[in-house]
Amino acid sequence: MSEKKTAVSRRGFLKIAGLTGAGFQAGALIGAGVAAGKDSESYTGWESFNPGTQFFDRGPFEFDGPAHLPVGPVRRPSHTTDFVFGRVATFERACKENPDWTLEDPIEDLGLVPDLVEFYKRFPERLEWDYRTISETVPTSREDRKKYENYYKLAEIYSNGFTAHGMHLPKPHDPPEVSDFQMGAGSHTEPIGEAVPFKSPELAAEFIKELAHRYGATLVGITRTNPNWLYTDGWRGCPRDHDFSPLPEHWEFAIVIGVPMEWDVILSSPQFSTSYDAYDRVSTVAVRLEGALKYAGYPARAHTPMTGYDLIVPPHAVEAGLGEVGRTGFCITPEVGGNCRMAIVTTSLPLATDRPIDFGVAEFCAKCKLCADSCPSGAMSKADSPDGMEIRGYEHWYVNNGACYNYWRESMGPMGCRQCVAVCPYSRKDNWLHDVARKIDPRDPTGVASSSLLWMQKNLFPYPDAAEYRRPPTGRFASFREPPDFLVAERYLAVEIVRPKEG
Amino acid sequence: MDLTGGPFWFLMGVVFVVVAVGFHAFARDRGWVVTWWKALLAVIWYGILCTSFFAWGTLIGENEAAAGFKLFLIGIFVSIVFGVALVRLMAHSTR
Repeated sequence: MSEKKTAVSRRGFLKIAGLTGAGFQAGALIGAGVAAGKDSESYTGWESFNPGTQFFDRGPFEFDGPAHLPVGPVRRPSHTTDFVFGRVATFERACKENPDWTLEDPIEDLGLVPDLVEFYKRFPERLEWDYRTISETVPTSREDRKKYENYYKLAEIYSNGFTAHGMHLPKPHDPPEVSDFQMGAGSHTEPIGEAVPFKSPELAAEFIKELAHRYGATLVGITRTNPNWLYTDGWRGCPRDHDFSPLPEHWEFAIVIGVPMEWDVILSSPQFSTSYDAYDRVSTVAVRLEGALKYAGYPARAHTPMTGYDLIVPPHAVEAGLGEVGRTGFCITPEVGGNCRMAIVTTSLPLATDRPIDFGVAEFCAKCKLCADSCPSGAMSKADSPDGMEIRGYEHWYVNNGACYNYWRESMGPMGCRQCVAVCPYSRKDNWLHDVARKIDPRDPTGVASSSLLWMQKNLFPYPDAAEYRRPPTGRFASFREPPDFLVAERYLAVEIVRPKEG
Repeated sequence: MDLTGGPFWFLMGVVFVVVAVGFHAFARDRGWVVTWWKALLAVIWYGILCTSFFAWGTLIGENEAAAGFKLFLIGIFVSIVFGVALVRLMAHSTR
């Protein structure tokens, strides 16, 4: 009797099993991909308090530095002129006191301080933008906010929670020589005690970095404070006639810390995003670190977004090895790109300093230009190279902070823009897909990897036209990406909501 | 099951073995002589295909579904071109 043949042979069964396995694997990998894309672990630095957030191996990209070499006469920054918020506020006050003044009139008629008059004569485009901000943009924005306010209400509520906390952080009320040597706050201040000696600057740096991460810093680096990057005026706690020329001796070291803004929120820039989440968090970290240093017996001062700065941060961050300055003018880091708000704690505790890094930002920025193309106010240079451009004596891509600030005042929601942060290809979360790019691009000397990645960035991902971010009728108050669900007002609020694109 | 955890990737490894055994049966049916370097090329090809699916899913998870699908299409295109070349290479020397 012949053996009955089975319907499927053994080999046929294996083939079917293999094919089924491949189909299953394809489906499972899509599911795993979705999970990886949503994974909270990929939100670098967001509410994490461990050193693992600084995951990029900087070693191969370090160089001796300094990263900044003067290309002309060096000038220190000024709160009165370079600091756009202070400048426009001063200009606005002067214009209110002289309501008949127009751009056609001599700038001297406004009664501004000589430094600001000289600045406006040197940079007439800043004067034009600042004037446009207060004469056109602020009034129209007031009307826009009346009309569209409810649509952005939840974003404002979210942002203001951070602002409310940040405003309570302690600020120095005396000059550095006094307040940096005092602990406590208000009437409960006392001089710092005897300094606790560390075994070595290396171990001190290791300890301080560990503390910074545990206090909430996503990134931390250490460099020497550069006197060229101190403000020439307006140090906190100092009278107007204070001698701002020397670097206080106890500001020898600058501990630079950074945290990102919330990832889903920053992608909904300009209208729904806020800086205040990261402002508040990085300021809190810096104040904690200042307190710890003082308790250890070392004078310290936190320079933060919520309590004010006596020096500028980005060049210090670059020298501390946190990243490189890009076309946008801020420090672009390997871990979080430009999505980073920074603070500095100056101290005299002897610390081993970090070395600057070169991981290819300069070359990438030269060909990318996504930030400049997406900038609603056209504030950034679209040139192929920063050659011939400088800021206060150092080579630097041109950024017109008057134009930038103009759109700050035009935008809806918690105010500000951050569009250049959102669109920057370096500002990406920590998952396998972006980590592949992070690892390959800096190690490719040919530039093929960065060109390929850039091609994909520009051709696979949608980028609204820069004009769409503007107010109607020029634009539609677009956002780079839709806001996260928790900021959608229609979902939560029982109020009348007018969407800008609906008029 | 946690789709980003170790057990999931262990399961994926098991499934990969099943796929590899199926491929081996398929190759024997066709009379292909699968040397070690041809097998390596086949693994690379399968890796590209799997990565295309994984990348698509990752960008869906990041709310960039359109970009994910375009990237997937690029991956599929590369897989087809590479796959055709691989089949011709496999068929070049048969038993």
